[in-house]
Amino acid sequence: MAVMATQRAMAPPMTQRRKEIRRHVLIYAALIPFIVIAVFPIYWMAITAFKQDPDLYRMDNIPFFFNMKPTLRNFDILFHQTNYGAWLWNTFTISAWVAGITLVTGVPAGYALARLKLPGSENTGIAIFLTYLVPPIILFLPLSRIVAELGLQDSWWALVVVYPTFTIPFCTWLLMGFFKTVPMEIEEAARVDGCGQAGAFLRVILPISLPGVLTSVIFAFTLSMQDFLYGLAFVSPGDQKPVPVGVPTELIRGDVYYWGSLMGAALLVGLPVAILYNFFLDRFIQGITGGIGK
Amino acid sequence: MRGSSLRGGPDPVARAAVVSVPARSVARPWLSHSARRLMFGYTLLAPAALYVMLLVAAPFLFSLYLAVSDASVGDPVAHFIGLENFRAAWEMDLFWLALRNSVVFLVVAAVLKSLLGTSLAFLLLQNFKGKKLVRGLVVIPFTLPIAISVLSWKWMYDSQFSVINWVLSRLGLIGQFGTEGWPIWLGDPRLALIACILVNVWRTFPFSAIVLLAGFTSVPVEVLDAAKVDGCSFFQRFRHVVAPMIFPILMIGFLFDTVFTLSDLSVVYLLTQGGPANATKILPVLAYQIGIQAGNLGRGAAIALFLVPLLLPALIIVLRNIKRREY
Repeated sequence: MAVMATQRAMAPPMTQRRKEIRRHVLIYAALIPFIVIAVFPIYWMAITAFKQDPDLYRMDNIPFFFNMKPTLRNFDILFHQTNYGAWLWNTFTISAWVAGITLVTGVPAGYALARLKLPGSENTGIAIFLTYLVPPIILFLPLSRIVAELGLQDSWWALVVVYPTFTIPFCTWLLMGFFKTVPMEIEEAARVDGCGQAGAFLRVILPISLPGVLTSVIFAFTLSMQDFLYGLAFVSPGDQKPVPVGVPTELIRGDVYYWGSLMGAALLVGLPVAILYNFFLDRFIQGITGGIGK
Repeated sequence: MRGSSLRGGPDPVARAAVVSVPARSVARPWLSHSARRLMFGYTLLAPAALYVMLLVAAPFLFSLYLAVSDASVGDPVAHFIGLENFRAAWEMDLFWLALRNSVVFLVVAAVLKSLLGTSLAFLLLQNFKGKKLVRGLVVIPFTLPIAISVLSWKWMYDSQFSVINWVLSRLGLIGQFGTEGWPIWLGDPRLALIACILVNVWRTFPFSAIVLLAGFTSVPVEVLDAAKVDGCSFFQRFRHVVAPMIFPILMIGFLFDTVFTLSDLSVVYLLTQGGPANATKILPVLAYQIGIQAGNLGRGAAIALFLVPLLLPALIIVLRNIKRREY
């Protein structure tokens, strides 16, 4: 109400509003193609997952809606006739371990690099971050040797060891940025109050930086989900795979595609991850562009 | 009171902190304050640094070693064979094809995603109702796990029940199923690479847009206003104020994308496995197939390392730009 009142006071109401409406229509019209392109594959995934098989394989119907009654059969197959349940569990446990390892190493490192004025800390920080840019395709052959030496091949523990190679660099860098934003005075005040260096870190800085720590956990999860190569190369038993590897490698047998259950499997994991990641996307962009766009 | 504020230290907490420091080091004279700080710091840094050194730096060096050895999956004892693997790759027609495909993939994808990304960024720069929702929707491709979204594309590219073909066919742009005019996206050597490129563009154009947007919003409005007052036209403002300010952020985004696009194997591997007739064979796929599937670790490592000269310029520019990070 208040906004409308001020608008009316500022300009002749009709032309102003008409201009606004025209502008909005133009913008939406230009945005629609982008939205359709971006969202359609998800929509297609979702509708396929709930369609009956005969409905999928007909060319005379309009394929964008249900021509037969929607069904949950595809999910039933997924959970009762495949390892999907195990993959979900693997994905979750792998990510939890990776998040744990990332926090235990990344939080102290980020703090040390941001706060303790170590000689060469700037360059060390950059060096750690740059390892994030070493592509898995260069590392996976030597890592397969290391995984074999550790006796972890063919178990999801291999991925717990390997995924931190990209989550630690990224999250350390992210946390460095976080710790830099905590005012120095707070830490000094804690020291005055009798905290030691470690006490100030644990009792004062860490609780304040909880949002940063939480963000790191989210990234440990979502970045683990983005991997395909390591899972493909290191884990071959069907019940040990995480979802993004298990679905494309196990649910496609020869040339037979069960598109309904495939899309169901993809949707069930893809959607929550996409939504979660969505909330933290700005942090991600900020992280890699070096916090310039704050 | 006046003296302390003149020296810029009016905060009693800060003053107290300065006072407290010598008192602490007197308490433990055997180790100076700064030495203890350094020890504390290096202890905190050690786990992360060790992890990265053992599982990134060491494997990287090890891959250099693998590349000059005859290591294979069957025979784990590696012998030094010099540059033999690189020479063999060099003489392989498939290697040159893969290199060509990788470069075509990178360049075509980069052009398309910067066009789409720039237009989207300009649209999202406007003020309109529901902007947050629209933004959340258009970034979905980038946030979906890659192996998951590629599956959806594989279904959309299906040889018979492709929804893309259904639409094109109804619009009269292509022929009926079973005729020459029905494109088989992943089975036709002329179409397969562009089909893979489109998936990469779909996935990364939101990233280009968001990076660009982050760049635009980092330009303070005051600076733009000042330039306006000084009589700069829109294009002058863009050329002399906005462009130089967003250039570093843009370079970093662009180079990140280069690294990830060049080294990504999942799109091509899941859609075509490098086929048909090697039309989509790119370097990462070739390295995987030779290194793991054929078991020739040395040769695979050598092929993967051919990515390094392609990525090195990217890394150097990132390195130079990243130092400009604002603290």
